Amino acid sequence: MLKNHLSFSSSDKFKTEKLSPPKLSPPKLISANLSINRRNMLQQAGGGIGLMALQSLLMADAGEPTESTNEPHFAPRAKRLIWLFMHGGPSHVDLFDPKPELSKYAGQPLPDSFGNVMTRRKVAANPLLGPIKPFQPRGKSGLPISDFMPQLAEHADDLCVIRSLHGDSVNHPQSVYQMNTGSILMGHPSFGSWLAYGLGSENADMPAFVVLPDPGGGLKGGPSAWGSGFLPPTFQGTAMRPGKTPVLNLKPPTGISDSQQRGTLDFLQRMNERHLLKRDHDEELSARIAAYELAFRMQSAAPEVCDFSKETADTLSRYGVDRPKTRDFGQRCLLARRMLERGVRFVQVYSGDTNGWDAHKDVAKNHGEYCEKTDQPVAALLTDLKQSGLLEDTLVVWCGEFGRMPMSEQGKGRDHNPWGYSGWIAGASVSGGRAHGSTDAIGLRAETDRVHVNEFHATLLHLMGMDHRKLVYTHNGLDERLTGPAEVEIVKGLLT
Amino acid sequence: MMHDQKAPSRLPNQPEVPIATSHCGTVCILLWMAALIVAGSPLLTGTETDTSPQANSGAQTHKEQDVAEHSDSIEDELPIDRIDRGHWSYQTITDTPPPDTGSSDWPRTTIDQYILSKLQSAALSPVAEADRSTLIRRLCFDLTGMPPTTTELSEYLHDDQPGSYRRLVERLLASPNFGRRWGQHWLDLARFAETDGYEHDKIRVNAWRYRDWIVDALNQDMGYDQFITLQLAGDVLLPKEANPSSATIATAFLLSGPDMPDINSQLERRHVLLNEVTSTIGSTLLSLQIGCAECHDHKYDPISQGDFYRLRAFFDRAVKLKANQSVSTLAPNADPVAISQIHPRGDWQNSGPEISAAFPRIANPSDTQITDKIHPRVQLARWLTDPSQPLTARSIVNRVWQHHFGTGLSNTPSDFGVMGEEPSHPKLLDHLANRLIDHDWSLKDLHRQIVLSSTYRTQSKPPTASLTNSNSTRAWRDAKQGDPDNRLLAYFPRRRLDAESIRDAMLLASGTLNQQAGGPGISPPLPEALVKTLKSGQWKPSGDKADHHRRSIYIFARRNLRYPLFATFDRPAANCSCANRVPSTTAIQSLLLLNSALTMDASQHLASHCITQHAGNPRSQIHEIFQRVLSRTPSREDEIDCISFLARQTALVKQQGSTQPTMVALTDLCRAMFNSNEFLYVD
Repeated sequence: MLKNHLSFSSSDKFKTEKLSPPKLSPPKLISANLSINRRNMLQQAGGGIGLMALQSLLMADAGEPTESTNEPHFAPRAKRLIWLFMHGGPSHVDLFDPKPELSKYAGQPLPDSFGNVMTRRKVAANPLLGPIKPFQPRGKSGLPISDFMPQLAEHADDLCVIRSLHGDSVNHPQSVYQMNTGSILMGHPSFGSWLAYGLGSENADMPAFVVLPDPGGGLKGGPSAWGSGFLPPTFQGTAMRPGKTPVLNLKPPTGISDSQQRGTLDFLQRMNERHLLKRDHDEELSARIAAYELAFRMQSAAPEVCDFSKETADTLSRYGVDRPKTRDFGQRCLLARRMLERGVRFVQVYSGDTNGWDAHKDVAKNHGEYCEKTDQPVAALLTDLKQSGLLEDTLVVWCGEFGRMPMSEQGKGRDHNPWGYSGWIAGASVSGGRAHGSTDAIGLRAETDRVHVNEFHATLLHLMGMDHRKLVYTHNGLDERLTGPAEVEIVKGLLT
Repeated sequence: MMHDQKAPSRLPNQPEVPIATSHCGTVCILLWMAALIVAGSPLLTGTETDTSPQANSGAQTHKEQDVAEHSDSIEDELPIDRIDRGHWSYQTITDTPPPDTGSSDWPRTTIDQYILSKLQSAALSPVAEADRSTLIRRLCFDLTGMPPTTTELSEYLHDDQPGSYRRLVERLLASPNFGRRWGQHWLDLARFAETDGYEHDKIRVNAWRYRDWIVDALNQDMGYDQFITLQLAGDVLLPKEANPSSATIATAFLLSGPDMPDINSQLERRHVLLNEVTSTIGSTLLSLQIGCAECHDHKYDPISQGDFYRLRAFFDRAVKLKANQSVSTLAPNADPVAISQIHPRGDWQNSGPEISAAFPRIANPSDTQITDKIHPRVQLARWLTDPSQPLTARSIVNRVWQHHFGTGLSNTPSDFGVMGEEPSHPKLLDHLANRLIDHDWSLKDLHRQIVLSSTYRTQSKPPTASLTNSNSTRAWRDAKQGDPDNRLLAYFPRRRLDAESIRDAMLLASGTLNQQAGGPGISPPLPEALVKTLKSGQWKPSGDKADHHRRSIYIFARRNLRYPLFATFDRPAANCSCANRVPSTTAIQSLLLLNSALTMDASQHLASHCITQHAGNPRSQIHEIFQRVLSRTPSREDEIDCISFLARQTALVKQQGSTQPTMVALTDLCRAMFNSNEFLYVD
């Protein structure tokens, strides 16, 4: 078991701890004297394991134990995490952070007392724009949530809204990178990659880190947002989508039947076996033989997780799979839940194509559309997780790469605001129905109990049982961490 | 902030290591001569010399002392001491005669003497030589990134005249495909891509010219000193060449990394870019992780923040950024008013003391100073390629060795600092470094030395069962037990093909490879699901379908989306310099090779070709396929298996209603061959 994160280096250690691959094939195909681990476990997993025993093979080369989990640093509050990422930057002052003063001074310029403010589109001198929709106190707690999200509002007592998030860039890709990797620069490992590296997969037959991109595509900054950066590629997010081919190249080429594919594979494996016999049963060659058996099984097993036929009509309807507006995000939220149930450690679900929640022109129109797409599915997901008990040790995170400015842009729109914005977390026995921290009177800057993105990450890792200071990877002579080189504290106020 | 942690490399009770000081005078004379030569050279006509106050302030008295102090007075900068200089990589390159290996007739080259001597010390011996079809496949992939054609294979196997191996080596070294293979190794180091990355991932329209420049330079065997000099200062040395593929384009090396032209603060962009340039110089050319000193003094190596920003100062004026515009090459005095200063904690908004260009002190034992007579970047290049500078030659020799054997003599090719790995054969490394310098930095000479050695020609697998008690069997068994990581190279390390070679070999074997050279990158079609992860319109398949079959090095390198086969088979992401691809083994790779359109296309072409050439003769078809895919003739057992597979598969697909059962079955056979371990690995 790898536990010494401190001594793990990119260049050589990985190569020295090679592990034998799992075996999933009919025994006759691979000679019995191959040293293959985990046979029993995987055989028990049977044919319905759904989504790939991928991780085991993804991990096979990494010197990472293929067996189940690595030990966390301390008892975790959450074993799995689902991150709902609202790409483009949802407006905190219109959703979770009510600002009466903003209504009051709407139409007037930003008072001088706020000083200079860096903005993306030079909106600092524009008139303030009041909240688009009214806020109501919700649930027993009275936590205010705006009328944009009536269904989520019913879960108010489970939500811990953080009103004082802040980051470092007014630009999209830099902020997408920062919210995902801790750094505004391209090429750092994403949060999910760090989790996969640190904790492994809860179920060794599952990838630790799955990403469900918006089918509209075009995340600003591209797939680097779920890349593994300088961590080995095995830890990068596996992008999947609902439907019959959740992973690229999963199906045999057009016109090739399963029996034809099996015959081809049997022939291939006989060649490989003859090759292997003359090569001392080399482990790497054996691993690739096993990888082919796994690939073949995945062709039939992988779509299982995406097969909603066993979900009730009521469930599908609750997620909004039966309505055009909510179908896509509903499908992906349901898929995310099915993955969590099958042991995926971390699922990230994106809402928003290239423009997404980026409401420069018209907040009412843009957020009206995106809230309609996501409000019901997110509520259904929370309901499901709560009913099944999963929410107790599942952490749910909702945020974008930043929030939006109190000033107007083009009349009814708002520009990017990384200086103060909201997100929320739920589950993992974090108490809900409350808001942590605050922005100033108009929602321009985080003011009290400020939570920097790096601190947010440190806290999320803490809830997952990981000490961000100990989750280290040596790269090019530096001990790299998700939270960067500076000292970062966890936010204790979020843990209660 | 990390000063207090700097100590480990020089604890007070460590023994002092004597350092060589005698070179100091030599260096000065050489540099002085170099300066004269350069100053008088027509190459420098029209060069703008840097007459700024900064450049002058750096050119001060020459200090001959072990503890160098720089003229910039930076608070807290620890001096370099003898113990720092005692680390292996900073010491002068030694040239000891090759060790005596007794009466063995195994060594062919001096390399073999060094290798054999170490093996003997470990009571091991090299295994037998690989057979000829193994050797030609190994050599072809290694030197050109492709397997031999059937003609080349047959010519070599039938060339029984002495010197046939050497002739093969010479032919491959002279092949234009040599540069297309070895160029990619350099492009990995240069974190080369043809777009900016970040949100807009804009195309750098001339980036391909740099790729072509690299390929051409390697094919022409440009000396490594010239190779890196032009990449650092080609714009200064050859400014008048109008042809954009001239030396100016070579300076794209430093600007090949990610960049964010549209970020709000151009000052921040500039800071990030120049720091990345500085780190890249350290890791690629010196094999030092100078980048670690961007925010604070290096934790382990004697590299201060001052060293970092003084190295950066060589480039502060070479780059002029304009908002929303990509930047491609360096230019002399592009930004004449740029200030060079330290940025405490690496923060661009944090301004420290002004400094001027100077060489990293630990790598500059003779304290060579910058003069105002020559352009600073030219001086940097001269200093890097000065024969007394030990890091440059050791670094490139180690990299070349690494790509031939999978592992460098030092296994940390971009970190020769105290956290790096000491070389397994330090004397051999020095011997080859010396030889490189003595042979005008010829890389082809180095390749030749390596591939002609007996060390390179050993088997990678155990001797066949009939030789159970032979010396060779014993050598194999002993090496496996006594040296499990094979650092002593008793046998040749088997290696998986890299991503580009897999694709190129499939295209070549199927007869669909388009060998057209150079020019703008081409874009084969990609699955819609992948294209959708980009901004719209960022992946348009090349209009001419013949372009889809060009060599892999010519596939458009979009930073935000690697070509899927490359991404899956471990090509680096081009966000930072990559010295060593770590091969992975995954089911996703298997799915891609089994089911992708690429494999299907190649398999159909190969099958169709064989059916046309050898109509009605399955045995000949099988022979042709084996030669094209595996560079060998099938064994009796292979033949029987293939014939029976074809019979069963033909019957199966016929039963399923196929109208071309023979073609379909043979296509499946080809598809299996392209997925086989024998194809994917080189013995």
